[in-house]
Amino acid sequence: MKMRQIKPRIRWLGAVDWDRRLFDALIPLPDGTSYNAYLVEGSDATALIDTADPTKTDVLLGQLEGIERIDVVVVQHVEQDHSGSLPAVLERYPDAHILCSPKAQPMIADHLGVDPDRIKAVEDGEAFSLGDRTLEFIHAPWVHWPETVLTYVREDGVLFTCDLFGSHLATSELFASGSDRILASAKRYYAEIMMPFAHMIRGHLDRLADYALDLVAPSHGPVHDDPAFIIDAYRHWVNDPPGNLALIPYTSMHGSTEQMVHHLVAALAERAIRVEVFDMAQTDLGAYAMALVDAATVVFATPTVLVGPHPNIVFAAYLTAALRPKLRHAAVIGSYGWAGKAAERTQSLCAGLKVEWLDAVFTRGLPTRETFAALDGLADAIAARHSEPEPPQ
Amino acid sequence: MEKWVCTVCGYVYDPGSGDPDGGIEAGTPFDSLPSSWVCPLCGASKDQFEKQ
Repeated sequence: MKMRQIKPRIRWLGAVDWDRRLFDALIPLPDGTSYNAYLVEGSDATALIDTADPTKTDVLLGQLEGIERIDVVVVQHVEQDHSGSLPAVLERYPDAHILCSPKAQPMIADHLGVDPDRIKAVEDGEAFSLGDRTLEFIHAPWVHWPETVLTYVREDGVLFTCDLFGSHLATSELFASGSDRILASAKRYYAEIMMPFAHMIRGHLDRLADYALDLVAPSHGPVHDDPAFIIDAYRHWVNDPPGNLALIPYTSMHGSTEQMVHHLVAALAERAIRVEVFDMAQTDLGAYAMALVDAATVVFATPTVLVGPHPNIVFAAYLTAALRPKLRHAAVIGSYGWAGKAAERTQSLCAGLKVEWLDAVFTRGLPTRETFAALDGLADAIAARHSEPEPPQ
Repeated sequence: MEKWVCTVCGYVYDPGSGDPDGGIEAGTPFDSLPSSWVCPLCGASKDQFEKQ
């Protein structure tokens, strides 16, 4: 696609990646993605905001044919899906220098081999004039790396946010209002990438309340022509208490654990608790992460393999803790053949989770009436906690 | 002064060194760190720290 105007002197460029199905060798991309860069042409100077994934360098350079000069390249985030074409851009525009946060400086050298003399760090709140357009830099660390910055064009009310407010969504539509999938896509992205930093985002949202925002332009997915929509969504995700939702990530080898899961799902549903079940052998990680945004309780269900939990549940436990969700309660249920420590080991794998651990329920061999009674007890315990009034914050 | 450990990543906040990159002078006790201070290695908030 050619460059596309979002404001009279501001254009989107970059690439829509329709075919990409995996990110970070980990995150499924059911809807592809895009790598968004932006060109801001002031009366005296031209700025390029970010670049694109190195697989799309040719696309970016093709779009820049006819742009004779770029004075500054703003590197809002050093991750390679945005900085990857930087060396090629710097080669095409030998007079351009980089603007970035102080923490980004050494990272750009480490990740991309760029000559440090071409990199200038900007302070929080510092402004850079392009003539009749002014760039203001907002240090916004940990969305999602330590060096992330946002860039605000005062005259147009355009905020470039890089990964913050982004979506992995390949679309021909330039603006979010043209998409009926934007909320789900943005929530999935939040869950996969931003959720561990919810406390930082609270602070950033407070700060952004002082800015007049006409457009919010992220580095993935469509541009938000209704900034209030996405900001409001984020406010809920980072501030709302968990809802009446329990998640059951499970794996079963010969069916004992699976029977227990089915019984627990029914018991929870009878107690008016919403449940989502994830067979970890075939689950879309992003779907599991999305469910963690609102869940109050997680119950890991696992057979015993070589003394510990099944590796699929090792993965689920580790990931759950790493994403730092707002869970309040957790439990482990499952089965074993003769002995084991699956419950203890699952718990220690997510020791960082600040949750109340409810009693584990394990069966030797097939689940019995006693097993099912214990699962009913677990369901009662979860129901009691989900119906408690909000503790004071 | 006591050292505090980040339970997410293991980073040790040593008041003797402070956190200069984070604007915290050497000699600042953990309790005096602003509530907005986060672990420089992983971004975890103060409430994720434990006394060593």
